[in-house]
Amino acid sequence: MNDDPLIARAQQGDAEAYGLLVAEYLRRVVAIAFSIVRNAHDAEDLAQEAFVKAYQSIGRFRTGSPFGPWIGRIVTNLALDVVKHRTKFRHEAIDDTRPASRRDDAELPALRHDLAARIDAALDELPEMQRIVARLHLVEEMDHAEIAALLGLSDGTVRSHLSLARTKLKARLADLYD
Amino acid sequence: MTEPDDDFFARLRQDAAPLRYRPDEATLARIRARIQERIAPQPTVAELLASWFRPLATAVAIVAVIAGVGLATIDLPEGGVEIVVGGESYVVGD
Repeated sequence: MNDDPLIARAQQGDAEAYGLLVAEYLRRVVAIAFSIVRNAHDAEDLAQEAFVKAYQSIGRFRTGSPFGPWIGRIVTNLALDVVKHRTKFRHEAIDDTRPASRRDDAELPALRHDLAARIDAALDELPEMQRIVARLHLVEEMDHAEIAALLGLSDGTVRSHLSLARTKLKARLADLYD
Repeated sequence: MTEPDDDFFARLRQDAAPLRYRPDEATLARIRARIQERIAPQPTVAELLASWFRPLATAVAIVAVIAGVGLATIDLPEGGVEIVVGGESYVVGD
């Protein structure tokens, strides 16, 4: 779909036209945020913030560019800020038996599925950037270029993160995938 | 290196499918409504003042009309209707 007409209208202050863009990309944006922050409520709030922020700066959006990667990048940056804040908070906390980044199992009933739960746990044990890259690649099925664009990394860096994640995941899930 | 034909990742991706978070329609509608609320054009000061004064002006007008009608009724001579023709006032009885 060509979003240019909607973007042009949104740039003129047409909130209704922008609403159509929101409807088109919202599901994807929430999924990206969830892959990074691992909490449904936070993901929804971040998606909301991202779209509001994008609307406020849509005047600077270059006509003809795809809207999807742009809004994806905005929500990714917001989500990475949340993760960084949590990491800082976790380091400062004396007792952290249940990190904030852990999702309540009730939010995703599918997690009760043993195999998915094992994969989820193995992914959570990865270092932050490997975890984010691996989730976007494995769970959201994004390719290297998409992930690189979202995270502002080079294609080579994404491949490197995935390679390291692959080695660790293979070791941790050896009993399942041998 | 991970390549598209990586068997381990391909199987992992398949088994990780239940981990995908897909908000339901009600959730999406709620988020959309919140976004629309935040991006809706804000009223100007003049519009805001007008929205306050309009009901007030309407109420004052209604009170004025009721008062006018009331006074006119009170002024009517008892038992008749006053008619003014050519500056002269006549009272017509029941």
